Amino acid sequence: MVTTRDGPFDAVVVGSGAGGAMAAYVLTRAGAKVLMLEAGRDYDPEEAPMLNLARDAPLRGSGTPDKPFGFYDATVDGGWEMPDEPYSVAEGSAFMWWRSRMLGGRTNHWARNSFRMGPYDFKPFTRDGLGVDWPISYDEMAPWYDRTEKLVGVYGANLGLENHPDSGPGVLQPAPKLRAWELFLKAGGAALDIPVVPARRAILTTKIDERQPCYWASPCGRGCSIGAAFQTTTSLIPWAKATGNLTVLTGAMVYEVMLDSSGKASGVRYIDKASGSHREAKGRVVVLAASTGETARILLNSQPNGRSEGLANSSGQVGRNLMDTVGSNVSAYCPALEGRPVYNEDGAMGLHAYIPFWLYKEQAAGRLDFPRGYHVEIGGGFGEPGVGGYEGFDGYGSGLRQQVRQRYGARIRLTQRGEMIPNEKSFCAIDPDRKDKLGIPVLKFSFAWSDHELKQVTHFQTAMRALMDRLGGELTSEAAAPEKLISVGGEIIHEVGTARMGMKADQSVTDRFNRTWDVDNLYLTDGSIFCSKAHKNPTISILALSMRASDHIATRLKTGEI
Amino acid sequence: MKHTLIRTLPVIDRRATLRWLAGALAVGQLAACGETFGESAWLAPTPITGNGTGRDPNLLEPAAPWPLTLTQAELLATKALVDLILPAEGDAPAASEVGVPAFIDEWVSAPYPTQQEHRALIVPGLAWLDAEAIARGGKRFALLDAAAMKAIANDIAFGGRLKAGLEKPAEFFSRMRALTMGAYYTTPAGWNDIGYPGAKPGTGPYAGPTREAIAHMRALVEGMGLDFVEA
Repeated sequence: MVTTRDGPFDAVVVGSGAGGAMAAYVLTRAGAKVLMLEAGRDYDPEEAPMLNLARDAPLRGSGTPDKPFGFYDATVDGGWEMPDEPYSVAEGSAFMWWRSRMLGGRTNHWARNSFRMGPYDFKPFTRDGLGVDWPISYDEMAPWYDRTEKLVGVYGANLGLENHPDSGPGVLQPAPKLRAWELFLKAGGAALDIPVVPARRAILTTKIDERQPCYWASPCGRGCSIGAAFQTTTSLIPWAKATGNLTVLTGAMVYEVMLDSSGKASGVRYIDKASGSHREAKGRVVVLAASTGETARILLNSQPNGRSEGLANSSGQVGRNLMDTVGSNVSAYCPALEGRPVYNEDGAMGLHAYIPFWLYKEQAAGRLDFPRGYHVEIGGGFGEPGVGGYEGFDGYGSGLRQQVRQRYGARIRLTQRGEMIPNEKSFCAIDPDRKDKLGIPVLKFSFAWSDHELKQVTHFQTAMRALMDRLGGELTSEAAAPEKLISVGGEIIHEVGTARMGMKADQSVTDRFNRTWDVDNLYLTDGSIFCSKAHKNPTISILALSMRASDHIATRLKTGEI
Repeated sequence: MKHTLIRTLPVIDRRATLRWLAGALAVGQLAACGETFGESAWLAPTPITGNGTGRDPNLLEPAAPWPLTLTQAELLATKALVDLILPAEGDAPAASEVGVPAFIDEWVSAPYPTQQEHRALIVPGLAWLDAEAIARGGKRFALLDAAAMKAIANDIAFGGRLKAGLEKPAEFFSRMRALTMGAYYTTPAGWNDIGYPGAKPGTGPYAGPTREAIAHMRALVEGMGLDFVEA
């Protein structure tokens, strides 16, 4: 076993996505020497094909098994299936696990939707008796959200909505103007008391540092080399490097946390992919932010003294409480939108507006048959014509051209993003019968939705059909039972919860500062520590929680407590 | 962009044309002998074995690594069909003028499940098209006059009035139409025809809807008995 060069380090951070990069940023700025280990290859944001055109890509950029989100998607060596790094799914379950193997992880291609969790989201058990409360409140988190949003750069508006908190003064970037089709939805929504309001996304609309503001073109999923759309490879990682305190090792697949004789974490073991050799990296504190699935996998595969339950798992909660966002769709063709004046609707290449959950009062009063909320991400407009979506046409020649022009910009897509409540049937564990190409035991996922989620899908479908009906839209999506319309577990790529934080050591894996109850100098700063999966996209919360935890670690490092 | 991948139809030299005509004649003789295009002719063609893009291709220099597989006869039928689907009109060029046949070739030659499924429909479909043209007009599809081409298309192109027994050819036509449109409307000519004004980086705040677009939307929304709120 070889010990990594350049040590010893104050902190070993596993992962370079939202949770890991924020930890590295906060710790290096506090003066700590940090080693960041990333399983994938190094990635330069200049690789992003920002202005390449679909027509220049193989198959006009269509998704393939090699590049499931399209040729130009930023994801490197990843996707739903990775031949060298399989995972298992239990019989009777369905689960999809999106991974990437690159510096910056999934932050290089995410949608940048950034909705804060609110007071109800941190205390869901108190509100409806389901799931568990977080050991922290929204009021405690609010300043961390403010700091995170200010650092990241989030556009949006303060609207004073119930459980959709405002940001502090001067925190948000100006939101881009709503487009005509969004104003159309807003008018229809107003008639049904469904709010259509400015969305929040981690995209700069004004210049705040060396990053450039959005130039209103280029799909964000390709990666954003100008730094407008937030990703750790244009921000936190280079900023951490600039302190001189960060060492980054790529191609380093961590599989185990090492303990010293006193039971403290002494570092991690990893496989250097290029050479295949097993190595050790040591530090005073270990921070796992390898992603919800991989962090649970590392803990479960770390078996000090042959303890088969894994590390930091005296509660038995590691791998349990796996949650994803509830997804379903309604789409419609709106004849009223035919022939409207064409102008550039690319905008920020994503949400300018959305529908926040608007029925908290009805829910609290017991007038709804589902306990947790959802928001609706809306799509439409004069987008760049893609290679797909031409199935519904008829005939040929001049009439066909006419149909295309008539329908352009008249389609609306409404996408549900809802809260899932943790359940006994949804978890991951080590598959005792299977190892990946590197010889590391793989995860096996079990997953099931409950009636709570299915009823929420039905509500969304009914509400959105009513909205489309009021606007004269003709539904183009299927009307079916919610079991058929709901997304597959993991498909929304918001998986969280496999090592939740909590008030008590026997019911949770970490304390309120992301520190594992069992190992005093082992911290988890990715989505694994989530106690609930609010309908809000998790990345901005992962960033804020990691910032808070890392500040705590930095203090303890400085005082010599660890 | 350092280069583009739009491939044009290979230039057909005189010898190749003669070979193709000899082939066309042979097909004609087959038809004359009473051969018909039966169910078995829709069997899947030879599968593709080329390499895909891999999971970490150079995104700035895109390239499709797999070899193209359509025969000259298939490409000529493709060209004729895509130009029937989207012929030149006004300023808008025909589909074959903007590389659509080469795109179809790239598509059906790609080593991926979706494209292979389409290949299993399109390659036999192109053969059907020629066989049908020969049966009806004594010539391959590409050699028919416009009226004769339309006569065939009219039996398979309209969902509401498909000719009985031609379900499979209709499925083929729908797929070719969808691919032709997808290829066409991603080109500059397609953007121009549809009016897509985007993919233009700008500075300052997003301009938002034009005054005309706002006025139109206000009238539209108020005409539906709804309140219009701008912002």
